[in-house]
Amino acid sequence: MKTIKAILILLSPIFVGWFALFLGAYEVTPLMVLKILLNETLHIFEIGDIPEKAIVIDIRLPRVILAGIVGACLSGAGVTLQGIFRNPLVDPFILGISAGAAFGCAITIGFLSNIPIQFMAFVFAVSAVVIAYTVARTQGEVSRLPLILSGVIVSAFFTALVSIVKFLVDPHKLQSIVYWLIGSFSLADWKAVKVSFVGVILGILPIFLMRWRLNVMSMGEEEAKALGVNVLRERVLFIGFSTLAVAVATSLCGIIGWVGLMVPHLVRMLTGPDHKTLVPLSFAAGASFMIAADTISRTLTSFDIPVGIITALTGAPFFIYLMKRSGKEAWGK
Amino acid sequence: MLNLKEVYFRHKNQTTDVLKGISFNAEKGSITTILGPNGSGKTTLFKCITGLWKYYKGEIKVDRVSIDKLSFKKRARLFSVVPQEHEPPFPYSVFDVVLMGRASYIGVFSSPSKKDYEKAETALKTVGIEHLKNIPYTKISGGERQLTLIARAIVQESPVMLLDEPISHLDFRNQINILKKIKEIALIRGITVVMTLHDPNLASLFSDKVVVINSGSKVAEGLPKEIITEDLIKRVYDIEVKKADIDGQSIICPVL
Ligand SMILES: Nc1ncnc2c1ncn2[C@@H]1O[C@H](COP(=O)(O)OP(=O)(O)OP(=O)(O)O)[C@@H](O)[C@H]1O
Ligand SMILES: [Mg+2]
Repeated sequence: MKTIKAILILLSPIFVGWFALFLGAYEVTPLMVLKILLNETLHIFEIGDIPEKAIVIDIRLPRVILAGIVGACLSGAGVTLQGIFRNPLVDPFILGISAGAAFGCAITIGFLSNIPIQFMAFVFAVSAVVIAYTVARTQGEVSRLPLILSGVIVSAFFTALVSIVKFLVDPHKLQSIVYWLIGSFSLADWKAVKVSFVGVILGILPIFLMRWRLNVMSMGEEEAKALGVNVLRERVLFIGFSTLAVAVATSLCGIIGWVGLMVPHLVRMLTGPDHKTLVPLSFAAGASFMIAADTISRTLTSFDIPVGIITALTGAPFFIYLMKRSGKEAWGK
Repeated sequence: MLNLKEVYFRHKNQTTDVLKGISFNAEKGSITTILGPNGSGKTTLFKCITGLWKYYKGEIKVDRVSIDKLSFKKRARLFSVVPQEHEPPFPYSVFDVVLMGRASYIGVFSSPSKKDYEKAETALKTVGIEHLKNIPYTKISGGERQLTLIARAIVQESPVMLLDEPISHLDFRNQINILKKIKEIALIRGITVVMTLHDPNLASLFSDKVVVINSGSKVAEGLPKEIITEDLIKRVYDIEVKKADIDGQSIICPVL
């Protein structure tokens, strides 16, 4: 039963992605999508230069792939952070990592256009998580509530810095910062997809390889040490890789919150807490969730609603639900 | 096997020592029990042995090799630890918890191999909890948790096993069962067991050697029936007791 669920989750991005390709303002039949894809990959039949081809290959396909990769990065980072901080209520957004990355991106767009945006995003994302962690850490342990509070503080701080940048840049650049901050895939193209693979290779892949260690790390610092884990080193690695994934994702599509919180929970409920399966399934489910959310955001009305709004609309109630359900223990040590 | 010599420990920014020169030896295949009142330093002693806390003076050796500078990975292959209290944040299955004992043998970028899985299965059988394999660790009883943690310590394959109050939350039957299991493991596998207990009778029933500590200093060390006397209990715990013999087994009973 668990295996069947796991296989379904693993395959879900393909199904969801398939739907996403033929849904949209311009009608393309499912069969036509298949034909176009087959034509592009295998060159079996000639379909000529029809408009559907450009829509599917140049617009929808990169957007779907990008949404999938960003979803995988965010929920992968979420599951990692929940594991190492032994805290089911954290994700990159709550810990201020997204806000840190956003600030790095904003100053790059505003003032430092010759520095790679991903680099600055990473630098400030790492600063954010290090500050949040240091503030919350007392006597070698990081309790749940202080960590969330310090995440809120760090998040507010970097958001304020972004506002300063917005205030200082020229109006032309301001518009692109604002648009990008909201969190949207409307600017997706193949170039963005290529960049997103950096997040996959430097963030997702190492987390996948290290995933079993998360079981041990989540038992707490002292116990992990007694079991032979170099806690400090592995914590640095996990934070580094997940922050890289978030920085790349944020640099491509702005701040998209809550995915990293919700998806790992849903997967845990369906297939259990063992990180050996939880991590890859969270990647897959994160991808599906993000593709679905993006498809809703661009088909619900005649214009593109930023996908960050859709995830926040589902995420905030979900957080409240978790808080109420787990009650007192969620805030304990 | 395990030798402690004049171990001193104090907490940061404190002026008094918690451990004031503790020395004792624990032999291979035998059970050494640390006995002492609350706050006497038993848990502190264990944390010094496992390297979580740094003692500032003295020496701890395993097989005549000093362990001061060992990494956590190497330490984990010398000592397996059964912690006192314990609540994982996620409902891992009993099997997953046992498997964690293999952490020091598994590379950072890899997962447990087939061999690791087999070892975890065997350990579950050894302690007799195969039937709990897929049950969430958060949903089993205190005694079953203790057995799970002992199984986890077994898969660690370390020559020394440290147990801090392994029976503190258990009913009478489970107390006896767990201690029997520990004794069996020490004998069959030749493991050096060091544990802490609060009950002098259980200590003398199950251990080959007892080390009594009081406010950070060793008060007595030796064969249980020789050192657990009316006088010692009076000195350490400040209560009146009578010692009696039942079938050659000496029993301590409080006098009201
Ligand atoms: N963080 C700390 N700072 C200062 N003193 C401490 C600290 N932690 C513990 N102590 C002191 O160290 C002493 C030894 O504590 P320890 O936990 O080792 O006792 P124990 O023998 O394990 O007691 P119990 O039987 O209750 O488990 C106690 O007197 C305690 O007050
Ligand atoms: Mg103690």
